[in-house]
Amino acid sequence: MIALSSSSSFTETNPASLAVRAVGLGKTIDERSVLKSIELSIAGGEFVAILGINGAGKTTLLKILATLMPPTAGQLQLFGLDVCRHAGEARARLGLIGHQSMLYRDLTARENLELFARLYGVEAPRRRAEELLSIVGMIDRADDAVKTFSRGMCQRVSIARALVHEPDLVLADEPFAGLDVPGAAAVERLLSDLHMAGKTIVMVNHDVLQSLRLAERVIVLGAGTIAIDQPARVADAPGILAELAGTDRRIQPEEIVMI
Amino acid sequence: MSSVQGKLVRSYWIAVALLFAADLVLIIHYTPDERSMGAVQKIFYLHLPVAINTFLACLTAFVASIAYLWQRKGWWDELAAAAARVAVQLCAVVLATGMIWGRAAWGVWWTWSPRLTFSLILFFLYVVYLVVRSSVEGRERRAIIGSVYAIIAFLDVPLVWLSARLLPDIHPGSIQLEPAMKLTLMASFVPVTLLAAGLVVTRFVLNRTSSAAANSDQANNPREIRTAPFVAGATLHGPKAIRQTGGAL
Amino acid sequence: MPLVAQQFLLLVGKDLRIEARSRQTIGLVIVLGLLIVVVLGLGLGGGAAVGFGATVVLWVAYLFSGVLCFEKTMAVERSESALAALMLTPISRGTLYLAKLTSNLALMAAVALVITPAGVLFFSFDLSAAPFTFTAVMALGIVGFAAIGTLFAAVVSSTRLQGGLLAMMIFPVALPLVIASTQLLIHQFRDGLPVGGLGLGVLVAFDAIFLTASWLMFEWVLEP
Repeated sequence: MIALSSSSSFTETNPASLAVRAVGLGKTIDERSVLKSIELSIAGGEFVAILGINGAGKTTLLKILATLMPPTAGQLQLFGLDVCRHAGEARARLGLIGHQSMLYRDLTARENLELFARLYGVEAPRRRAEELLSIVGMIDRADDAVKTFSRGMCQRVSIARALVHEPDLVLADEPFAGLDVPGAAAVERLLSDLHMAGKTIVMVNHDVLQSLRLAERVIVLGAGTIAIDQPARVADAPGILAELAGTDRRIQPEEIVMI
Repeated sequence: MSSVQGKLVRSYWIAVALLFAADLVLIIHYTPDERSMGAVQKIFYLHLPVAINTFLACLTAFVASIAYLWQRKGWWDELAAAAARVAVQLCAVVLATGMIWGRAAWGVWWTWSPRLTFSLILFFLYVVYLVVRSSVEGRERRAIIGSVYAIIAFLDVPLVWLSARLLPDIHPGSIQLEPAMKLTLMASFVPVTLLAAGLVVTRFVLNRTSSAAANSDQANNPREIRTAPFVAGATLHGPKAIRQTGGAL
Repeated sequence: MPLVAQQFLLLVGKDLRIEARSRQTIGLVIVLGLLIVVVLGLGLGGGAAVGFGATVVLWVAYLFSGVLCFEKTMAVERSESALAALMLTPISRGTLYLAKLTSNLALMAAVALVITPAGVLFFSFDLSAAPFTFTAVMALGIVGFAAIGTLFAAVVSSTRLQGGLLAMMIFPVALPLVIASTQLLIHQFRDGLPVGGLGLGVLVAFDAIFLTASWLMFEWVLEP
């Protein structure tokens, strides 16, 4: 069920059971090809990390998956729904986490979550907000304004916001950006818990080792196409690092000094 | 541009110049001087056709903008931009001729009369269009924003016209036209309209060729910058990595 | 209550609650408006500007404080990219527009409540002849102004440059409102003519046309 090589090989599973199915996806911005012919199949419950150098098209791909940007070529289906024709239904099943929190700074955490819960038409929004705040560990700061939170706390409330309508697909665009060690650890735990609960997670990240640790499958984008697509446990870490460094010399993970 | 096209373009502009010359002869010699204002009134024969063409240019920008938003093909947007630019140029002429006429007829360079006020506001509406376009980055975004503004601006035109008519008009009354004058007026429309259309097409072609040049520039010189990840110790950079990045990080 | 109405009320409530908490926009905008009235009052002195000169002065104050107000209500959506999250909810772009417009109108109403009496006072404008006419005419004008202001603010907030761009876009388009309302009020207060005809038609047509056009085009200018 997992594509093992960089060439496009479709799975035999029923397309409707795939969380994400991209066929020939392309995006051209200002006559520049940012994404070219992306073929991607992600099954339900997979945790996929997308890596790549700056400019490789990772954020663009994630925005297209989030239906915030239309593709210029190809097709994208989320849970069997074509995003061009059934955008609303597709959006109901996805949640987005970015490096900005997407919250209203002057409202409290609870007010933010209740607002989004009501906009999504969630039943018992008040209870849901409390539930989510407990899950992300922010229940004792529920009635404080978001602007008083540290970055890590904002990110945790942001995750709660993304989950308010119980999406099956969670998209995360560099969720660890700007987080300190405890903040990042909390987000890692939450993502792992989500994965354990059966959600499909697609995460754009810069940290290769962290991605290999968290995700089941690693995709490396290079110049708008998929260069590497491997399961995390057999992934060729030195090869990935080399691809990202733009060198032919293979870099061993131990050579990277963590400060 | 091929030489056949070049010849056609040259003939076109020569024809326009000749028509203008013929028109000027008509204006100066054929038409009589108007009773009250004298020879300067003759500027009207150019003023009105230019004014009508300004409106047509604004209409072109409006239609092209709608077409762009509907079909999302870049050249509609370039047509809208060309038409708007010509509209600004023509409107400047309308303002200038209107002011000269006013000065000659009633002794003041400016009054807040309906016609002058309308021309002034129209001028600003489309100048703003050009400024907005130059402030937006990204071709697609610029086209969308330009189109939305061009639609709003054109919808505003009749409202500007009507509200301007509320202003006190110190110079009421229109000019009585004798047959000779009517003929000259009709005749003047020809070179002016051809000039306006020629300007729009020229500008449009200019826009297209410059954007095509930008495209091929992108394709031939892709701006991909590969950066090496931060690793401690310069020795870890392979010689190939340094060659690729050119030592510039 | 239908879902659309619920979503609309939620969004307007959210904007007003944020404004009540931070009091950022309303304070700035009211003070700016008052200062404009004061400066113009000082500059124009008595004489020619007494009386219905107030309407133009008020319009200038509304225009500048309105532009600031629209910029700030849109900036709230940009600051943490909350707009992207809103666009993922089932809410329609048209409802987003109407909600933003209503929030803007609520703020402008608060501004008008403060600076209109100030203008009337400083310019000795006697409204007693037709206070309702005055209010209605100015209200129609502000509605039209906010209709395009909300649309253009969304345009400008998605570009990197702001500066005077929003003012530059709104002012020429809004001029029919200024002309029509000032002429109407002059005819009413100076000449005693009843309000109606062309001037009123322009105001109503402006509001109808631009409310519809902006509502329709809002989705194209929104960028998450």
